Amino acid sequence: MTIPAIDTTALTRRFGDFTAVENVNLRVEAGQFFGFLGPNGAGKSTTIKMLTGLLAPTSGSIRILGGDLQANSAEIKRQIGVVPEGLALFGRLTADEFLQFVGRMYGLDRATTLNRTRELLEFMQLAGEQKKLITDFSHGMQKKLALAAAVIHGPKVLFLDEPFEGVDAVAAGTLKAMLLRMIARGATIFLTSHVLEIVERLCTHIAIIHRGQLVAQGSLDELRAGTARIAQAGIPDDAALGLNEGSPDKRSLEQIFLAIVGADREGNPAATAPEQELSWLS
Amino acid sequence: MAELKGPESVSGSMPPIPASAQLLAVAWLRWRIFVNGMSRKQPKGTRQVAGLVFVVLLRLIVWPMLAMLVVGPVGASGYFAWTAISEGHPRYLASLLLGIALLWQFVSINGLSIAATIQSFDPESLVRFPLRFGRYFVLRSLLGLMTPSTIVGCLALLAAAVGIGVADASLALPALLVMAVYALMNIYLTRMIGAWMDRWLANRRFREIFSMLMALFAVGIQFLNLHQTPMHGRRVRSSWLLNILHSSGSYQYWLPSGFAAQTILLVKHPLAALAQFAGLLASTALFAAVFAIRLHKQFLGEYLSEGVSRSAPAPSAPRVKAPEPQPAARSAPTVFGAILSPTVAACMRKEWLILRSNGTQLIGLLTPLLFVVIFSMNRAFSSFSSKYFLPLAIAYVLIASLSSLYNMFGADGRGVQLYLLAPIRLLDVVVAKNLMSLTLIVVQVGLAWTIICVLARAPIPVSTQISTVFWTVFVVALNLAIGTLRSIQAPRKFIPGQARQPRGATPTNRTSALLVLAVLFGSMLLQIPVAIASGYFETPWLAVWIFAPLAVAAVFAYALMLRNAERLILAARDVFAEELCKA
Repeated sequence: MTIPAIDTTALTRRFGDFTAVENVNLRVEAGQFFGFLGPNGAGKSTTIKMLTGLLAPTSGSIRILGGDLQANSAEIKRQIGVVPEGLALFGRLTADEFLQFVGRMYGLDRATTLNRTRELLEFMQLAGEQKKLITDFSHGMQKKLALAAAVIHGPKVLFLDEPFEGVDAVAAGTLKAMLLRMIARGATIFLTSHVLEIVERLCTHIAIIHRGQLVAQGSLDELRAGTARIAQAGIPDDAALGLNEGSPDKRSLEQIFLAIVGADREGNPAATAPEQELSWLS
Repeated sequence: MAELKGPESVSGSMPPIPASAQLLAVAWLRWRIFVNGMSRKQPKGTRQVAGLVFVVLLRLIVWPMLAMLVVGPVGASGYFAWTAISEGHPRYLASLLLGIALLWQFVSINGLSIAATIQSFDPESLVRFPLRFGRYFVLRSLLGLMTPSTIVGCLALLAAAVGIGVADASLALPALLVMAVYALMNIYLTRMIGAWMDRWLANRRFREIFSMLMALFAVGIQFLNLHQTPMHGRRVRSSWLLNILHSSGSYQYWLPSGFAAQTILLVKHPLAALAQFAGLLASTALFAAVFAIRLHKQFLGEYLSEGVSRSAPAPSAPRVKAPEPQPAARSAPTVFGAILSPTVAACMRKEWLILRSNGTQLIGLLTPLLFVVIFSMNRAFSSFSSKYFLPLAIAYVLIASLSSLYNMFGADGRGVQLYLLAPIRLLDVVVAKNLMSLTLIVVQVGLAWTIICVLARAPIPVSTQISTVFWTVFVVALNLAIGTLRSIQAPRKFIPGQARQPRGATPTNRTSALLVLAVLFGSMLLQIPVAIASGYFETPWLAVWIFAPLAVAAVFAYALMLRNAERLILAARDVFAEELCKA
């Protein structure tokens, strides 16, 4: 039996009276390109923060590459790379200085750090910005730099929170190719994005979180076939959403996603068409 | 794009990362941030020359003041330590060390928000790297050692050790060792307080309560002072504060300062000295442990927030069918909308809503008035000369309010883009913001004026009242003119009423902060020659004749600035985008 790259059991996080993530059981096998979807405020970023050790769970356990995250955080952090929600860059450094710092913090020797810094800056097309401070970078450039920092130590598991937001189409294409090559070499990628076309094109497996609860998990084919649903209280089942009807092969991820999270608790897919609500719009 | 080579394996039995590599990496990071922070973008042409002249003048004034703040405590510490030993007042040594510790902590707590504005590096962000807790603790202990409070505190303790050594050479080495441990104790005490303050101040409600408590504490101290200070004319025997310090002398020996002092003084009785030294070590360890407990929670991923998660969704409301479309109707005029244009009224309403929901800011507006009440009730203040007390009190009330004029767009942050995109005159936005500030200033000054007139011991001459009106108009209009200009040309993003600003955010930029002080103190100092001349020529109305034209000139300058506001804002769009709209 293979060790999963990410394995959570009953993962829960509460903020006072509010439960942001509840009883999430995720299983991501090694080598998967895993898409983690959900509407705004569903609990995606909270989950990623917990999976990367930035936020302590209220209850439940997290195992990364077979190791307990709470007990072996330093060892596990060496094996993962993260592009977090806020990018977490040091604005008063240059890109070159930042990558050198990150490399050294991850235990790379000086020569390796310098080589990889140079390679990454060229790859990300940031090599021409030697003296520019990160704070003066555009959002897209900062994203590329954050991604470079996340991979400089060659992580086995990569967590990406909206990695393509603000990145131009050319760079996005190159980054996608780079990520696919990482997958081919055995890395695992855990990706969240609101751009469902990107997730559909890149990811082999998908989980959907809604109101803090995992409502679907499986391969794209399983989602299309309607067999990836997880029974949750208050969430209508596949039959109610019509997911078991029609030709599953033709259903896009967007349709599946909207059918699951766009429905209200009574199972009505869309109660009111937006154009009816804003009829004064020209 | 170039092709990346495959990642070199970090799997298998990875060798541990040497502690020195990570510690040196963080030291290097801190150094690069410092160096990069020094190399700022320089303006060109005449603005560069003007900027240089301004900076040189500013440094000529500020640096000697800063040097005094360092030399003063350090010199005094050395002298008092020498006096305590050489003149046989060993008890003073404990008092001196307690004083240094109190000053150290006071400056440190008050410097937290300033430090946050200067640094662009949040040490908490280090938790995402593969660090063990021990290393994180060491890093957090070392980072921030170069703060003014730590430098001055350490120098003062070194001076005290030198003073003791000069007074009695046999005490030199023990004094140096004890002072080193005492410095460490202070460093951990500062860290402990800072870490717990960070924890508590992360909650907005607690921040407001904390601000209120601090204000009440300050006011309470003044009330105590009011009741304890001898009435005017009676002989002053001693300060109540000194009395408390004297009476608490015996308790000092149970504090770390007492342990430190006793260790030095009892050095000829090794057992007793060791016991005292153990007390000092134990208190240092206690503060370090409490600091470590807080750090460990951060290390494990504690979430500090305003309440629930920032990504927390709002409770989903049931969908309701929209009402049938109605023809657009003009809403009933509000307080702001009755007289003003819709844009000005809307902007003023927005400013009012933000102010109304910010308890800390409201406390900040009320606090000066409480002090005016206290000063007015204090005969020593209010009766030394009624004609000086009124302008002084009004100037005091104005200090806090005027600084906000120098960064009126700062609190809008990225929202400032709305002003640039909306089909409105930007002048209206400036007018609305100025009107809101002016309303608050008028209310504050009006209340202070009433308090002074009601509580003052002697009637305030009419000439003084009228000259103060003109002086106030002059100061407010002048600050409005310069403040508006600075708000447009040098905005700085900040969160109003919050001591713990995000990294890089400040209520005003440093030049503006110094400028507001220069303009305010300059205009206050103007009162002195006017008062002297008024007394010399025995013409109480002279001040009115001087301040009235100045007030008219300042109002004219403000009107001129307003006329150009639209053009200035459009010209400063790049600055707005760079300073206010950045992440």
